[in-house]
Amino acid sequence: MKKSDESLMEAHRRGNPAAFAEIVRRYGELVLGYLIHMCGNREQAEDFFQETFRRVHEKAHTFTGSGFRPWLLTIATHTALNGLRKNRRGRFVSLDQGIGCTDGNCEKSGTIQVADDSPGPSEDASLAEQKEQVRGAIDSLPTRQRATLVLAYYQQLSYPEVADVMGCSVGTVKTQIYRAVRTLADKLPDWGGELK
Amino acid sequence: MKGHLAEKDIIEYEFDLVDEKRTKQIRHHLETCGQCREMAEKLKRRFASLDLLREEFGVRDELISKTVAQVRKTGESRKFLLRKPTWLAAAAAVLLVGFMLLVADFARDKSSGRQVAKDTSSTVENELAEPSSRNAEEASSDNKTPVKALATTRAVRKPAAERLGHSAADMALQAQTREKPPFAPASAIELVTLPRRDNVQITIYNSADLTLVRERRELTLKKGWNWLQFMWANTLIDPTSLSLEPLQQADSIDVQQLVFPARLKDIGRWLIYSQIEGRVPFEVTYFTSGLGWRAFYMGTLSEDEKKMRLEGYVRVNNSSGEDYADAQTRLIVGKVHQLDRIADLAKRQYPYDRPGQIKHDKKRGLGATNARVINYSLPSDSKLFSRARPLRPKDIRKESLSEYFLYTIEGTETIPDKWGKRLMSFDVNDIEVTSLYKYDEQRWGKQTVRFISFANDKDHNLGDTPIPNGNVRIYSQADTDGQLSYVGGTGVKYIPVDEDVELNLGSARLVSVEPVLMNFETGNYVFDNKRNVAGFDEIRKWKVIVTNSRKLPVEIEITRGFGTSYWNLEYRGENVSYKKYDAAHGRFKTALAPQSKRTFTYTVTTYHGRREEQANQ
Repeated sequence: MKKSDESLMEAHRRGNPAAFAEIVRRYGELVLGYLIHMCGNREQAEDFFQETFRRVHEKAHTFTGSGFRPWLLTIATHTALNGLRKNRRGRFVSLDQGIGCTDGNCEKSGTIQVADDSPGPSEDASLAEQKEQVRGAIDSLPTRQRATLVLAYYQQLSYPEVADVMGCSVGTVKTQIYRAVRTLADKLPDWGGELK
Repeated sequence: MKGHLAEKDIIEYEFDLVDEKRTKQIRHHLETCGQCREMAEKLKRRFASLDLLREEFGVRDELISKTVAQVRKTGESRKFLLRKPTWLAAAAAVLLVGFMLLVADFARDKSSGRQVAKDTSSTVENELAEPSSRNAEEASSDNKTPVKALATTRAVRKPAAERLGHSAADMALQAQTREKPPFAPASAIELVTLPRRDNVQITIYNSADLTLVRERRELTLKKGWNWLQFMWANTLIDPTSLSLEPLQQADSIDVQQLVFPARLKDIGRWLIYSQIEGRVPFEVTYFTSGLGWRAFYMGTLSEDEKKMRLEGYVRVNNSSGEDYADAQTRLIVGKVHQLDRIADLAKRQYPYDRPGQIKHDKKRGLGATNARVINYSLPSDSKLFSRARPLRPKDIRKESLSEYFLYTIEGTETIPDKWGKRLMSFDVNDIEVTSLYKYDEQRWGKQTVRFISFANDKDHNLGDTPIPNGNVRIYSQADTDGQLSYVGGTGVKYIPVDEDVELNLGSARLVSVEPVLMNFETGNYVFDNKRNVAGFDEIRKWKVIVTNSRKLPVEIEITRGFGTSYWNLEYRGENVSYKKYDAAHGRFKTALAPQSKRTFTYTVTTYHGRREEQANQ
């Protein structure tokens, strides 16, 4: 049977290393996805990922036993905001990432390619360009607005949950969302329905 | 609501930033105002691009293990620093117990001193066996000795003799065991014995670069401590997975530790304590990379293309740096979860080096030096390159194993390093196949694609085991002399039992489909209050010409897409069947005699704007 987050945290506090590994495995994708949206860069997001879980370990005693997901996202948000503030001077770009390797996981799996229904190189390039423009628009947002938008839009948290994570009121969350969306409305390109 | 909505209103409405009342007002306005609806659509389209970044971000196993290891590391140091009070409590408890032992010893010494004076022939064994009774007596006679202290004394003193239940001779041996173990020599120059490999079993996984090797070797042990050296230079063995187990006399042999001497690369030394002398079979187990297998298939269609002979093969490759002679070979079908890649672990400079810190030694590469237990030499009767092979193809036994499927190759196989070997997995005749030609412009453009299909079940003479993924090449019998012609090839994914298989053989030039637009018109216009066009129909009449230039009858499936889900198709033919395939596609199916042509027509009406709603009613 799947163990609850609370019992895993309790087991971790008691010193069970397998419990912590299970937590990382269970929430790894959520946290990494959130951090990649925040940083726009997988390498940096992976650094923040490790830092987030290091803090989860350190702050395990502060977890009160209700709502592990918002608690975890609060830590991830603080890690990302602090990290981005420190790294404001320079952005990191992965040298390992190859063309068309958007998820950073480009190891050859050795599996057989069956029917190739994937888009051609020109479509790939156009899609990559579109993504880059959207990425650029999101990156241009101030970090708190970006975090609020990512939590609400990509992580699908309700506004009260976002408020809980961001440590502010629901009204503040709505204001941040409005400002973020207003900026995006100007910066997001209109492809006239030609979205890939 | 007066006037039009502002962009702000639409954003607030779309992102649910206003209260319910205001939401209702805006919704109502949008339903009635085309201009505002258009603006809302434009904004929505723009925000839809945000979904481009809605991807699944897989977390690499390496990142998870790194994160957990980092936390474990900080956890250990924190444990040491922060749990001082626990340590202090433990230390205090030890001191207390020690003090109690001293008190108890002191009390017993007094009484034993008296007893020795009475009976000097008491043995050590007696002394070990009796203290509890004596202490109990003493406890009753001397009320100053705490009962707890006596209980502790019993618990501490008894185990050596009673728990193990050994004789005096055994105890002498144990005394020797307790001697300091010999130092692991780190010298690069050694004089060694050469135990040979008796047999070896390799289990190769195809989903990952992973092979489990279990080899049996007879080792000669002397009584007492023994060092056993294992070397794996120029191989791809994961040294951290090494394990050594005695297969006999396990009670008398204790494999204590595996050390990796500093400065010496690719060497591990096991420290073994043996209570016996002589030859003992051991099993050495480890993971290696560089061995792999894959399946591939050859299908031969009968002249009428209604039956097929399917031959399945497996090809085993070895680039592990090690020769595996006369190995029992087992192949695993299924996906295994791996924390680290064995190849990475094998390339680390030291066995417990940091993961990811891979150092390549270009000068060395993979060569002839093999993993061995101390300079293992090939036996004189080595069959490494033996040509004496049975003429009958070997059987491959197939059985399910947990979530995997295990193929065991009959007998043993010799797979030297850098060699590959092809083995037959199965050969099945008379598999009934269905040949079907498909035409779908949206998927394959203006070409007809040929498919053959069958099922991995008993009705098709298959279905004993799943079919592993691999490449399939299909040939056809070109004439009665048995000459073959290549038809096409494709890759198949893992096919479970009772599952249908459809093989895409690529484009077919001798069967063609040509749709021709014969007529196009619009009609049924609907206007809004301002006399603007708000809806209309498009009516297209198509003629489709299907040609079969082959000398065999063919079946063909034609899929037509309409780009909308609001459409209606009229078709009244006899030789061609028609059915709606999905919301936006219709599908025709027909059979053509050899070297024949068929033409059919249909009319499709697509509805646009407000006509969509009317078409739905």
